[in-house]
Amino acid sequence: MERGASLAAPGIAAAASFAIASQLIGAAFLYLILRVDGGWQVLGLLALLGLGFYLLERLPWIADYALASFARVPLVAMVTAAVIVLAFPFFVGSNTYILHLLIVAELYAVLALALNFQLGSANIPNFATGASYGIGAYVSALLAINFGVSFWLTLPVAALAATLFGFIIGIPSMRTRDTYLALVTIAFGVVVQQLLNNFSWTGGPNGLVGIPAPSLFGHSFADPLVIFGWKLPSQANFYYLSAALVVVAIVTAHRLHGSRIGLAWNALRADEIAAKAQGINVAWFKVLAFAVDAFLAAFAGTIYAFYVSYISPDNFTFLVSVTIMTMVIVGGMDNIFGVIVGAFLLTILPEKLRAFADYRLLFFGVVIIGFLMIRPQGLFPQRMRRYGGEP
Amino acid sequence: MSALLKVENLTMRFGGLVALNDVSLSIDKGAVLAVIGPNGAGKSTLFNVVTGVYRPTSGRVTFDGAEITGRPSYEVVDRGIARTFQSSRLFSDLSVLDNVIIGMHTRTRTGVLTALFRPSASRREMAACVEKAETLLKLGSGDLFEQRYRPAGTLAQADRRRLEIARALASQPKLLLLDEPSVGMDDTETDALVADIVRLRAENPELSVVLIEHDMRVVEAFPHHVTCIDYGSKIAEGDFAAVRADPRVQEAYLGKAVAHA
Repeated sequence: MERGASLAAPGIAAAASFAIASQLIGAAFLYLILRVDGGWQVLGLLALLGLGFYLLERLPWIADYALASFARVPLVAMVTAAVIVLAFPFFVGSNTYILHLLIVAELYAVLALALNFQLGSANIPNFATGASYGIGAYVSALLAINFGVSFWLTLPVAALAATLFGFIIGIPSMRTRDTYLALVTIAFGVVVQQLLNNFSWTGGPNGLVGIPAPSLFGHSFADPLVIFGWKLPSQANFYYLSAALVVVAIVTAHRLHGSRIGLAWNALRADEIAAKAQGINVAWFKVLAFAVDAFLAAFAGTIYAFYVSYISPDNFTFLVSVTIMTMVIVGGMDNIFGVIVGAFLLTILPEKLRAFADYRLLFFGVVIIGFLMIRPQGLFPQRMRRYGGEP
Repeated sequence: MSALLKVENLTMRFGGLVALNDVSLSIDKGAVLAVIGPNGAGKSTLFNVVTGVYRPTSGRVTFDGAEITGRPSYEVVDRGIARTFQSSRLFSDLSVLDNVIIGMHTRTRTGVLTALFRPSASRREMAACVEKAETLLKLGSGDLFEQRYRPAGTLAQADRRRLEIARALASQPKLLLLDEPSVGMDDTETDALVADIVRLRAENPELSVVLIEHDMRVVEAFPHHVTCIDYGSKIAEGDFAAVRADPRVQEAYLGKAVAHA
């Protein structure tokens, strides 16, 4: 926990080159793992990743140096990140499968960031994120199919509906804690899925079909995206849309984390009684965490519904909530970057392990356990807040 | 001068156990009240009832002219009562600085919408908090300021007690409830603690302090108002010399005298 490193603060040039190089390496790695197919190649890349995290665990100054570099040249770091995200589909080209994986990973990153407010910041084990996700998807899909409401309008409506749901599940949950709280949220998640399955107006087990593709300035998201003469498959539309949502989620998470609200959540995570004694309205802040989680999850749900144009209750099962929770735990509780890495890793990995056929899930489990053994606190654990530009 | 805190006929039962039995006490603005009594006498329960952790079975608590009996903790803190815990309850995985900033929760206002849409306002508020917190950490004995980026859980025992007090002061209280602040301190540290409280009172003449203490050297330093509680009931009250001389107090601490039987 102690910051043992006494490495000199990086100069501007060193910091900028580090920020650019490290992000390029990260992007190249993501590209490689998405591209390769053979079992051995995937294994090799995983071993490389494991080695990277092993070094990070043994040499904590690497993380300190990285953070200092990014803090030194935030603009360079952000521009690099933006360029990488924008350029990535051009390298992927016409491979729609890779684009699909990226979109799903982005949506899961948003869901994991949403859950992180509860699980990571406030230690509320909410197993109903999948349900909020589903409510967002269904509300927007129903509005679009039945009333022809545009995608852009369904976004806020679905988010508000899911937030309301967050309040509804948050309030009774306040009477319980820890394990019992987890049980209440599991029940809520299952109830929502069963309701979606049994109502006739939600299409029952058949779900909703034919959700129209959104359009922006006359450009339909079902059409290929043409930029500077480059033609990208229609999935690229949703790739950029989801990327924008990830940015929204990151900004939301960053601002809340850095404010009095993030501190209050952290306080009730550490010691609820002490938090009360500091004047924190514990019940309200817990409900708030539920609401923020549901709000962001509904955004992800809406994009998902319009992307696949067909949703059914099976998309929003208890297992989805568990997956999101695993992403937060593996990635690193209360660490925005870690949670995103966790979401990408856990989305892409099962797909890449198809070479192992019947042993795929077994192997997936082994890899996850392996990463947790290398980095018990998550791939990128929570860091102390720093104030006033101090190192 | 009217009392800042007034506790009237407070009774707290947990099932068959009577933790507090018809306890009344009051403390004036700027005064120090020491509450003594053997372990399990009900002293911490008294704090818990005053700060809204428990709702009393019967009785009234009045603070600064308003009744606060059974009001939720966040309201009580907002009105100006801050406390420390007997077994220090710090936010151990957060830094020393963050612990103090969290203590300012009731004095800050940023809500979700402000944090999201007016980040500069939120940042300004946080920067002001950091500045105030650093001042608070520099004030007391010890070197908490130098350790401000350490996780609170890794502090030494005496520093933990000091941090609890700094965190409580962060809410700018009118009344400070200290639950055995000298636990785990050696003689030098205890002396520094007494000096800290004396300095605090000199700087804030309006601040009232209720002190639960076992260490008679601390009580001796604030001898004017002492209350002794045993088995949930108040058995003596007065200045330190009078309370110490009271036969029932001696009995409570030392056991019944043989001759008495």
